[in-house]
Amino acid sequence: MPLDNREINQLLQSLRANPYRLYVVETPHTGYLREFLVKEGDEVTGPSGKWMERPGSPLFVLERERNPKTIRAKISGEVAKVRRELEGKFVEAYQPVLEIRHTLTQKEIIAELLRKTLHIVTAPERARYFLAPDLAKRIEKEGEGRVVVKPGEELVIMSFMKRETPIVHQGEPMVVFRLFFSRGQMVEQGEPLLGLCLEKERPYVEKLIARVKEEWPV
Amino acid sequence: MSDRVLIANRGEIALRIMEACENLGLDYVCVYTPGDEQSLHVKLPRKKGKHCFCISSYRDANDILAVADETKCTAIHPGYGFFSEDFRFARRVVKRSRPLVFIGPRWEVIRDLGHKLNVKKLAFDLGIPVIPGTINPVYSEIEAEAKAEELFLWQEEQGIEPPRILIKAAAGGGGMGIEEVDELDQVRPVFRRIRSYAKRLFGDEGVVIEVCIRDYHHLEVQILGNMHGELVHFGTRNCTIQSIGRQKRIEIAPGFDPAYTDYPFDAQRVLDEITDYSLKLAAHVGYDSVGTWEWLVTREGKAFLMEVNTRIQVENEISARISRIRGREPNLIEEQIRAAFGDKLGYSQKDIGFEGTSIEFRLIAEDTKQGFRPLSGVITRFEFPEYEWLRVRTHVPRDEEYRIPTEFDPNLALGIVWGRDTSEAEKRGEQFLKHTVIEGYTPKGEPLKTNIPYLLEKLPEILKFL
Repeated sequence: MPLDNREINQLLQSLRANPYRLYVVETPHTGYLREFLVKEGDEVTGPSGKWMERPGSPLFVLERERNPKTIRAKISGEVAKVRRELEGKFVEAYQPVLEIRHTLTQKEIIAELLRKTLHIVTAPERARYFLAPDLAKRIEKEGEGRVVVKPGEELVIMSFMKRETPIVHQGEPMVVFRLFFSRGQMVEQGEPLLGLCLEKERPYVEKLIARVKEEWPV
Repeated sequence: MSDRVLIANRGEIALRIMEACENLGLDYVCVYTPGDEQSLHVKLPRKKGKHCFCISSYRDANDILAVADETKCTAIHPGYGFFSEDFRFARRVVKRSRPLVFIGPRWEVIRDLGHKLNVKKLAFDLGIPVIPGTINPVYSEIEAEAKAEELFLWQEEQGIEPPRILIKAAAGGGGMGIEEVDELDQVRPVFRRIRSYAKRLFGDEGVVIEVCIRDYHHLEVQILGNMHGELVHFGTRNCTIQSIGRQKRIEIAPGFDPAYTDYPFDAQRVLDEITDYSLKLAAHVGYDSVGTWEWLVTREGKAFLMEVNTRIQVENEISARISRIRGREPNLIEEQIRAAFGDKLGYSQKDIGFEGTSIEFRLIAEDTKQGFRPLSGVITRFEFPEYEWLRVRTHVPRDEEYRIPTEFDPNLALGIVWGRDTSEAEKRGEQFLKHTVIEGYTPKGEPLKTNIPYLLEKLPEILKFL
């Protein structure tokens, strides 16, 4: 495994010392920023429910082509900064409008640890990625953390410069333990796509997850 | 109120539209997406104090129209790719509560000619030769296999060895979604693959099956029409030198040159024939913008209409370079804009003459020895010579490093040369390529490869049946 116990302890300690992340909320598209629905210091929640069916807290109203749209929080936390000067103005796409100070959840702590402990397949280019159709079918059937991939099997399809290039598994057969991207997501070069582990490493990874679940409140 | 054009595109075509607008005295507004900040199509308008908006995507119609409204634009130029051949977008632009001018053909024309099979049907009805194959889109595997078997048998009867068919996405283009099949057993799996690709990329599962014509030249006829029923052509182009993905790399105008090389058929007769047929179809649909009629011409001199591109083409400038309207070189983007705003041509076919040969080279960051694999990375040095016979169209800045965006084709520049005849154009093309330097590195730190050596290698093959 890439990390030993001492390193894992250190990582958990640093996460306990600073369990926050600052998320910048950007405009998803152009339009008039009609009004902010939050102020600095407000607590907001991200989408919740088994299927994320309950939407996040409303943050601001963006109107485009005379269609007002409420932009909602994608993450829970406290509103740290609101750019009031943009209210009533026409904004471009991807313009930062507010910041949310988010406290890491147990699930996110586990994801952080897995990024360090699993064998990571990283994005070779900044591109859009799709899970290989065969692998996606197997994961859907057998569940995440159960599918073993053999050398030569397609893991991911990279959609890059209008071409689709498969990324193939190399090395020993491994378990696909965690997916770090969603279908068609734009992933920066070097960012993780998949976390793999050897069959013999699986108990160790599962033990690690159990430890975080025990030590970290939900 | 004076007219203002929203340029809904990127890269070199956005720059050429800007230039055309400036020449016509029109104001313009540009858009871009993250990753394109370094492109000259963003930097130059900003330097000139023009509006330049960041939008979510070049394919986001709502964003484009919101920017058009905000900046009080009166027209939209879609360039090529993106929305240029999307009849729904064109229809929306002209039918909304605040209508704008769509700089392109009427939406009905895009709808009728934008689909390969519609073109095939229309052409077939007008007696224009088309490639033997399906006239309607195929959605079922059984039907696909039956049609494929019929085409294999037809080729055997014609003595074509080995028989081969093409399975392609009906709504595809730009060389995407096409596979060759030479065995009946392969038809079903390839059909399934293309159908799923077509659905994913074009939102339409329809598939075309036709005879794979080999040993051909890919020719184009440049047409210009307008709403007053005027129709002219600006000659032909030859785009036979393509990558294995059927994407063009070298284009030459005119399409054939019997003074440069011998042909096993009457080349001038074929050029006249495809031009006449193209004009016949354009007149039939009331074509009212610039457009390209694409043809395959076999070694036997048989021509088949392939498709119609209802937009300005990348290679439009080589047609302009060899054309003279009463002695003056036209700018086809300006002509397209004038047609969209309702201007009359002010000339007719008899006023258009042709002079010399023009060659366009597409300079691309790609590994031509590994299946034309596109390359990303950073360009650290980009230099090209300056001659009065050369034009280089590029969005890549030469005064700073440039990171190639990964979401688009890795096209870096177009080198357009002109010569008094094909031999001179060829020599000048060689001179241009040999004195052009593109250096950089890939994300892995390796030297960035370009297709310049490939273009040099292919240059002697232009216009020839080898």
